[in-house]
Amino acid sequence: MNNRYVYGIVDGDPVEFKADAVRDAEYVYTISHRRLGAVVSDVDTTDPEETDEDARRHDEVLREIMDHDGGRAIVPMQFGMAFETDRSLKNVLRGARPAFRRALNDVEGRIELGLKVVREEGEDVDDEAIEAHVADELEPIAAQSVPNDLFSDRLVLNRSYLVEREDRETFDDAVADLEEAHDDLTFRYTGPFAPYSFVDVTIGAQR
Amino acid sequence: MFILDDLLFRPFVGIVDTLHTMALDELYDVEAIQDELKENQLLYELGDRPEAEYRERKAELEDELEIARDVHERLTSGRIEVKK
Repeated sequence: MNNRYVYGIVDGDPVEFKADAVRDAEYVYTISHRRLGAVVSDVDTTDPEETDEDARRHDEVLREIMDHDGGRAIVPMQFGMAFETDRSLKNVLRGARPAFRRALNDVEGRIELGLKVVREEGEDVDDEAIEAHVADELEPIAAQSVPNDLFSDRLVLNRSYLVEREDRETFDDAVADLEEAHDDLTFRYTGPFAPYSFVDVTIGAQR
Repeated sequence: MFILDDLLFRPFVGIVDTLHTMALDELYDVEAIQDELKENQLLYELGDRPEAEYRERKAELEDELEIARDVHERLTSGRIEVKK
């Protein structure tokens, strides 16, 4: 277990806790370079296979960090970032410092929420009107939003929203109102997640 | 005559190669399989697809995805030979 599996990057005080972590690791801790820290667990490979169980563990560890000390900002990594040594990881923290700083500023105090609007099988609905209604209600509350793939014919809308923690309840209420207004559609409202869709930092190539 | 043959024949072979590659691309469409995996998950989460059917379909699609990725890797590395 000499390699380090990275969940994400935090600023300031180190994070550590017991967890059901990727590849059966039981402890999550922080490797820091100056004020930036990579939250990691020990792992026995630099190329972990993405099983359903480990993908879930990755997400749950991130969620726990987000809830840590009343809410920590974290720049989440996609599944699979593992480093040979602490030294190679610290080199990345040093090298990508400006990018991590920017990303941390973007996500500070914010969470990601997901919304999928689904039509009944074979049902014909006015997609554009629904999209416009959802946008009118949710965009003013969200800090940012991005569209996701419409991977099924049944999807009318699939979007991720970056929302201030303090606006969460207002956002929940707005989604509930939309759901009520469109009772012929199914609303799948998910989260909060670490803000994957709103950070653009990958460090895999620099391993 | 060799030069003439070469010029006449080669563009034709090029098209056959391209069509064959396109056919393989369509048959082993990684993105389409990934979309179907996500749709399978969504339908299960919505309660529109029973668990047994969801699991069976998921296993099938994961096998298909592995084969499709392998075919693409071979295509790009030139390890699949296109028969003329």
